[in-house]
Amino acid sequence: MGRPGAVIEVDRNTPPTLFHFGEGVRLERLPLGTRVVYPPDPLPPIAHPERAIRRALAHPLDDDPLKSLLRPGMRLTIAFDDLSLPLPPMVQPDVRQLVLEEVIELAAAAGVEDVHLIVANSLHRRMTAEEIRHVVGDRVFTTFYPDRLYNHDAEDTEGNVFLGTTAMGEEVTLNRRAAESDLLIYVNLTLVPMDGGHKSLATGLGSYRSIRAHHTVHTLRNSRSYMHPPDSALHHACTRQGQLIEDAVRCFHIETAVNNHCFPALVNFMQKRETDWTAADQAAYLTVKQLTDLAPPAVKRAVFHSMRAPYGLTAVHAGQVDAVHERTLAAVERQMLVEVEGQTDIVTFGVPYLGPYNVNASMNPVLVVCMGLGYLFNLYRGRPVVRPGGVVILFHPCRYEFDSVQHPSYIDFYDEVLADTTDPAEIEARYERCFAEDAWYRQLYRRSHAYHGVHPFYAWYWAAHAMEYVGDVIVVGGERETVRHLGFKCASTLADALEMAEQTVGRHPSITHLRFPPLMLADVR
Amino acid sequence: MLAVQFIRSLPAYALVRASRGHPAVATGDLSMLHLGDVEEPRLPGPGWVRVRPGLSGICGSDLSAITGHASRYLDALTSYPFVPGHEVVGVLEDGTRVVVEPALGCRPRGLEPPCRPCAEGMPGRCERVTEGVVGAGLQIGYCADTGGGWGEVLVAHESQLHQVPAGLPDEAAVLVEPLACCVHAVLQGRAAPEEVVVVQGAGTIGLLTVAAVRRLTPPRRLICVAKHPVQREHALRLGADQVVTPDRLFQRLRFATGARRLGGPDRPLLLGGVDLTFECTGSGRGLDEAVRFTRAGGRVLCVGMPGREEVDWAPIWQRELTVTGSYAYGTERDGRRTFELALELAPELELERLAGPLFPLGEYRRAVAYARAAGRLGAVKVAFDLRDRQGWD
Amino acid sequence: MRFELLRDLELVRRGWRWGQVRPEWPEPAAAIPELPSLEWARAEPVRSLRWLVQQGLWLPFTRLMTRPEVEGDEWLRDQDRAMILVSNHVSHADTHVLLAALPDRVRERTVVGAAADYWYRRPWLGRLVSFWLNTFPFARSGGAQGVLHSSSRLLRSGWHLLIYPEGTRSPDGRLQEFKPGVGHLAGETRAPVVPIHVQGTHRVMPKGRRIPLPAPVRVRIGRPLHLEPGEASRSFTRRVERAVGELGGGSRAPEVVGSWIERWRATAPARRRPRPGGGRGPAGGA
Ligand SMILES: [Zn+2]
Repeated sequence: MGRPGAVIEVDRNTPPTLFHFGEGVRLERLPLGTRVVYPPDPLPPIAHPERAIRRALAHPLDDDPLKSLLRPGMRLTIAFDDLSLPLPPMVQPDVRQLVLEEVIELAAAAGVEDVHLIVANSLHRRMTAEEIRHVVGDRVFTTFYPDRLYNHDAEDTEGNVFLGTTAMGEEVTLNRRAAESDLLIYVNLTLVPMDGGHKSLATGLGSYRSIRAHHTVHTLRNSRSYMHPPDSALHHACTRQGQLIEDAVRCFHIETAVNNHCFPALVNFMQKRETDWTAADQAAYLTVKQLTDLAPPAVKRAVFHSMRAPYGLTAVHAGQVDAVHERTLAAVERQMLVEVEGQTDIVTFGVPYLGPYNVNASMNPVLVVCMGLGYLFNLYRGRPVVRPGGVVILFHPCRYEFDSVQHPSYIDFYDEVLADTTDPAEIEARYERCFAEDAWYRQLYRRSHAYHGVHPFYAWYWAAHAMEYVGDVIVVGGERETVRHLGFKCASTLADALEMAEQTVGRHPSITHLRFPPLMLADVR
Repeated sequence: MLAVQFIRSLPAYALVRASRGHPAVATGDLSMLHLGDVEEPRLPGPGWVRVRPGLSGICGSDLSAITGHASRYLDALTSYPFVPGHEVVGVLEDGTRVVVEPALGCRPRGLEPPCRPCAEGMPGRCERVTEGVVGAGLQIGYCADTGGGWGEVLVAHESQLHQVPAGLPDEAAVLVEPLACCVHAVLQGRAAPEEVVVVQGAGTIGLLTVAAVRRLTPPRRLICVAKHPVQREHALRLGADQVVTPDRLFQRLRFATGARRLGGPDRPLLLGGVDLTFECTGSGRGLDEAVRFTRAGGRVLCVGMPGREEVDWAPIWQRELTVTGSYAYGTERDGRRTFELALELAPELELERLAGPLFPLGEYRRAVAYARAAGRLGAVKVAFDLRDRQGWD
Repeated sequence: MRFELLRDLELVRRGWRWGQVRPEWPEPAAAIPELPSLEWARAEPVRSLRWLVQQGLWLPFTRLMTRPEVEGDEWLRDQDRAMILVSNHVSHADTHVLLAALPDRVRERTVVGAAADYWYRRPWLGRLVSFWLNTFPFARSGGAQGVLHSSSRLLRSGWHLLIYPEGTRSPDGRLQEFKPGVGHLAGETRAPVVPIHVQGTHRVMPKGRRIPLPAPVRVRIGRPLHLEPGEASRSFTRRVERAVGELGGGSRAPEVVGSWIERWRATAPARRRPRPGGGRGPAGGA
């Protein structure tokens, strides 16, 4: 247990390397000399999470014990992260359930009658009742749902208030119930370093008006990377907004961090380093591989999306946001950080079946870009693993398939906007407003379970930094027409892709493979 | 003279229907279509002249007749056996190059005084298409006494002839007849400048409708529904703002019109939607979709020839749609003949790019099979080439 | 090969959504020793096979036929102790409908009391029904010591018990008097008793008809009842009977009126629940 992350050089004795490939996996033999970066093993979880939570609530950082902040007759609002975290969804009990139960226990003991629980889903889709139940647990759910436990609605003009403008001109809005509360508690789960802190409230309970201040191509190109808050223009903006919120409302933050134990026992091989595979792991791989090769997409999706991750709680802190977030980030980095020596010409990795925006849905091509060139590419500290002008090789089937319930605006974004241009800045200037204000998307966001009309733009901007930085992007195993539509190149095998990449980076390139998931943060020296 | 003749035969009809219009059966020995030496049509009366076809198109309505899909309604309006072919560019005995306006109204039939529609200049709506000097038939190409474009000689009344300008190639002139149909439909539809117009289908009729809408009544946005890549290129060239494929039809029309989309993936519908739709596929499915994406109070024009189709009438009722047929041509609102307008429009459209491949009469089986699969094979207007016959140089 | 397949099946079934909080799984060895001929019905591989038959065959069929509308299943979700599920009985379809209405985790651990003199008169029928629904023979009279003993053994080894204390199907759909066995059983094991009312199954398959017809069905699950200290088992039986009857009447009145705090306290898991009457010491757990 507890080995740190590692960089291993491929030699003759190295087993083939696992690549995630959408709703599937494949093994590839990487060229000799390739560096493979492995994440650290899962940290041991806290043995008694409830006890740790109670302790955190009783001894907050820079704040009074939560118990002393609760009194009868007050308005208490508890907001919590939506289902975009963690990935895959956690086995019950979710960390948020444990925290919420302790907080609510205190509120019940203090006799606080007026309690609301709000899913801080921002411009993400509304969570379904069952999804909320999964996150908060049965007891919280049956006590509060639906009149006092509900999704935040960023398009409800009555339900949001304008709090003011920051020194840099960013507008700030907040959910009205939260803004008018005597105490606003935020229950967070930090999976990667971009989550949490001031971003929780500023985006989670914000609206298009406040989020558009920093979800821009300009900001994201200046966030290098947004996975490392000190270097992230995005987070600087969020912090300014968050401070304005903290001035307006009495806030109390509870942040949690989990380890990286993200696959259930049955497919534990996805988590293990290939050198550690036992015969059982190999058999499991073979079975999974055969089945995913044969099964129809709908079956594969059902199977993959029913996976629940046995994450373990590694840290819980409560109190004032800055002190809390500092500790949380330290815990997250302890789990994720891997030192990598120097940059490389080519970086390869597989894009898994799941990203933050397709829980219980297929990963559409726009989200593949968001996941691959957005999230996974940006998991670095200091500088990217690939050198400027280098090549990123992704593995994903990249099919033209969209979930019509969750991603209606994504379909149109792909067919109307990307057909015209793939340049993020141009897209932002010409199309963003039209999608953001489309009445139909607004309706689907508010009443159905659709992402906001502007959301595909943000997914695309997420990749803006990578698109500007790298020389070429090659998708192995992708559907040719779709990949070209996205503005990238397509290859059918890794060997072909490497050959194509050589035209950009020259002969005998250095290659690094990032063995996601579990996620890790590359600290490039 | 050599001609392809269409005979009336119930067993042949039954056989073709049973094969679901398979080209090998529909043009086979037991079919309704036969190539042979037939008697040249005689001149039925004064004012009639002999025309030697040079190029003669294969029309969608011809194909439905051959494959047994045509409506039985048309049976009573046709006399058998006839030589098909009504999209004709030919020469007169003096060598003048003409296109034939095939509708057989009161005037060619020698009926005096003409019926009311004919008096108003709309021979397509003639009420006496079974009377007069020639037998029953809406058009040349469906009448036993006139011959048709798929034979070496046909007869036409001088009122049906329009001289082809010298600069217009034969391959373009053969498309003047369908273009006139589309011009007629477009002037009937009268798209307003702020409207969104959809042309459903991108065969000959669809593409020519796109061209006519763009030039005669340019709307805010003109969208063409095309299945095949070649059709897509033609549509864009002829003036469509956007071309969408049938499988993403509702999604993309929703976006283009800012409508709301309801229902599952199999039978969606738009609330709001398109202002004016030209249905140019002639299929029930096309019409069924059209009435689901056209906005309430909007108009649907059936330009392609439908048969006996199943269409859900609920949207037509609930949306108070105006569904209009559009057949043939005549005299338009400003008093000009549709054919004149079409001939005027034709040169700038480079219609010759839509014509081909050309087949000799002898290869009529291949020609019909090719025409049936035209879109998939990248063709638009398949035609017979008879220019090697006498009278052409 | 066949053995391998069964093993895989069992692995998949248990590994599905791995890690979902799962109480102690009753080991096959702990299953009832009382009637050795039926032990196989609660052991592998029959459990896996039954699971297959359930998921693939009769659960979808039952749901299709009856579209059960389930209210109050939240009372079952948090229970980690073995429970006695008590329902009215109007039709042979009841058991299927009730099992379909239970959450997966509860259904997997539920045995159904079947009238011994009806179902177990013929051995093949008894075996079939034991395999199909995981039943065990239960005497209609409700008093026989041997049966009570085997039932409490089942409860103690972690199985939920679904029984019909009316003893027989109601001829007209009205609730009949409950046999006293429920009270005895609750008294002996201290297991919570969950009142359930099922309505509409008499339209699906009334007494006397053999072919089921589709009809909508409603299942209401009530708050679990506990034997109060000092309460006689007969009066407890009456209380259960009343609870089932009340579930059948009109629309369900809120179990807990007043603020969320009361509801929160009422749904507290057993180990933490403050006893309202100031009574002391919860009943010994499994
Ligand atoms: Zn007339």
